[in-house]
Amino acid sequence: MTYTFKLGNRTYKVDFEEKEGLGLIGIDGEQKEMEFLRIDENTCSILVDNRSVTVGIFREAKKIQVFYEGDLYEIEAVSGRDASQSEGTGSLDITAPMHSRVVKILKKVGDNVEVGDSVIVVEAMKMESELKASASGTIKEIRAKEGETVEKDSVLVALSDSE
Amino acid sequence: MFKKILIANRGEIAVRIIRACRELGIATVAVYSDADRDALHVMLADEAYHIGPSKPSESYLVGEKVVAAAKESGAEAIHPGFGFLSENDSFAELCEKEGVVFIGPSAEAIRLMGDKVTARKIAREANLPLVPGSEGAVSDVEASRVAKKIGYPVMIKASAGGGGKGMRLVNSKEEFESSLRMARSEAFSSFGDDSVFIEKFIQQPRHVEVQVLGDRHGNLLHLFERECSIQRRHQKVIEEAPSGFISQKTRKNMCEVALRIAKAVDYFGAGTVEFIMDQEENFYFLEMNTRVQVEHPVTEMITGLDIVKWMIRIASGEKLPFKQSAVKMQGHALECRVYAEDPATNFLPSPGPLHYVRAPSGPGVRDDSSVYSGCEITSFYDPMLSKLVVWGNSREDAVNRMLSALREYVVLGVRTNLGFLIRMMRDPEFRKAQIDTGFIERHPELLVPGESDPEVILMAAAVAMNGGSNQIAQGTKAVSSGWKHFARRMGVSGNPLL
Repeated sequence: MTYTFKLGNRTYKVDFEEKEGLGLIGIDGEQKEMEFLRIDENTCSILVDNRSVTVGIFREAKKIQVFYEGDLYEIEAVSGRDASQSEGTGSLDITAPMHSRVVKILKKVGDNVEVGDSVIVVEAMKMESELKASASGTIKEIRAKEGETVEKDSVLVALSDSE
Repeated sequence: MFKKILIANRGEIAVRIIRACRELGIATVAVYSDADRDALHVMLADEAYHIGPSKPSESYLVGEKVVAAAKESGAEAIHPGFGFLSENDSFAELCEKEGVVFIGPSAEAIRLMGDKVTARKIAREANLPLVPGSEGAVSDVEASRVAKKIGYPVMIKASAGGGGKGMRLVNSKEEFESSLRMARSEAFSSFGDDSVFIEKFIQQPRHVEVQVLGDRHGNLLHLFERECSIQRRHQKVIEEAPSGFISQKTRKNMCEVALRIAKAVDYFGAGTVEFIMDQEENFYFLEMNTRVQVEHPVTEMITGLDIVKWMIRIASGEKLPFKQSAVKMQGHALECRVYAEDPATNFLPSPGPLHYVRAPSGPGVRDDSSVYSGCEITSFYDPMLSKLVVWGNSREDAVNRMLSALREYVVLGVRTNLGFLIRMMRDPEFRKAQIDTGFIERHPELLVPGESDPEVILMAAAVAMNGGSNQIAQGTKAVSSGWKHFARRMGVSGNPLL
């Protein structure tokens, strides 16, 4: 099988072949053999040249979580077409990271923002957090209201690309 | 001794208290909100009473509902844990009025220590060291006189303040006048009150606190100190006992000072006297917490005393059967608070379904937790998943053991600070106990994973996609039986002994 995985800002082409617990993996063309054993639904033991690594794994459709040495890596499996489409057209919108309450909107429609500018303040679990722009652009639309409760992943502020 | 106790809390502290009760042969009563029907404390308790909606202000913070549940269940006492109603003097009074024992100090002690101004006044009268500064709000002239007297750097703080607003650090006399003006104007626009006070600025402060324990018969002991200098968002993340920094002389002095303020308010139960300490081991009283502290386990690990059980025994009228000289400390203990939060985005909470959790184990490892695979981390409450506590012969042993235990932890579903904690345990400065409350801010490199093995992560992702010949049904949370596991393993390798 060949997969295209998005991990962080990088996309990898991964060839995976499995024979009796041996995984043959090719990453962007480079081959590597690893032995793996799926212990249970969420645990996988991997031996890389006799180095023993245990990772946590979880998959929901195309979204995969890999827990390795204390850190959670979120990977998206994209099909060939999705991969080419997603080149440079990543969403600029600011979404709610969790179920939260909108405390303050710091920008208005038409404002220009730079990467890292605070745009909106939300509150969850007794803590306020500033959500920042992940790209430079212009505020196209503000869909949230101050005081409103918003669901995870709902778009709060839509940004348009800076020309 | 009590026969039945109600635990007016949730999460790991409720579980911790239930365990103490069980060991003492006391029946337990849990209370829970809408969101907590499936919480571990509800399952572990002998009885459980629903007390309202998920919002704490409509359930866990409503004293009347808690007391009503206690009366309905026949519980003779209420343990408030920490947070929620634990430092609410009116709740302690309500319990007393309704004939239910409040497991904690007197309502009077809570009230006196709960008010910062009163606490500072009592501390001054008891001759405790206080951060040098003005006595309350000051005029412009007085402010500059005080600043000159205590020496720069100084902090100007809004009297009505909080959250860093109306606060200014002043390094020299030249900056003072304009800083004062700005602090006043910021204070006025934020709080509608421009009064400020002046305090000496402690550079690279450490947070050190003393655990005290007193009975209702006038016996008052200290259980040594804890250091809690590793903080984020002004909240502790890593705590240890003893401090890896202070001398025996300072320890002795500090513990004596802590007992002085406890004595001044006729304290009984467990309490904590918090100090801020500079790099020369000068320490100043901050406040007294009149409840069990989150980080109490590290003290338990070095003294062998069960603080929660003693709180219960003391509330039932028992006398402390040992003297100060019998309280010894041995070795070193560390606690890491495992949070559902993302260090990479300024420790933003990360609620959601917790798909899978596996806690570490081994000698000297204790995991005070309230989560399990398949539970939900809601945004209604504090996102702490567990407190991982270890004991070692020395600080170095304890740090190594903590590192080893943290590396065994697996959490899927929500983001956690585990990777950050692992990097903390490997940090050379932390390992040398060169810490202060600004440590995390100074080390942003610890917040994100370093160079890791993308090949292992991608391999794992491929296995998750493919599952190999032991493809496991996706989208089901049900834990499969051991037989199925066994069969799957056979399927993977064709060799069960692999």
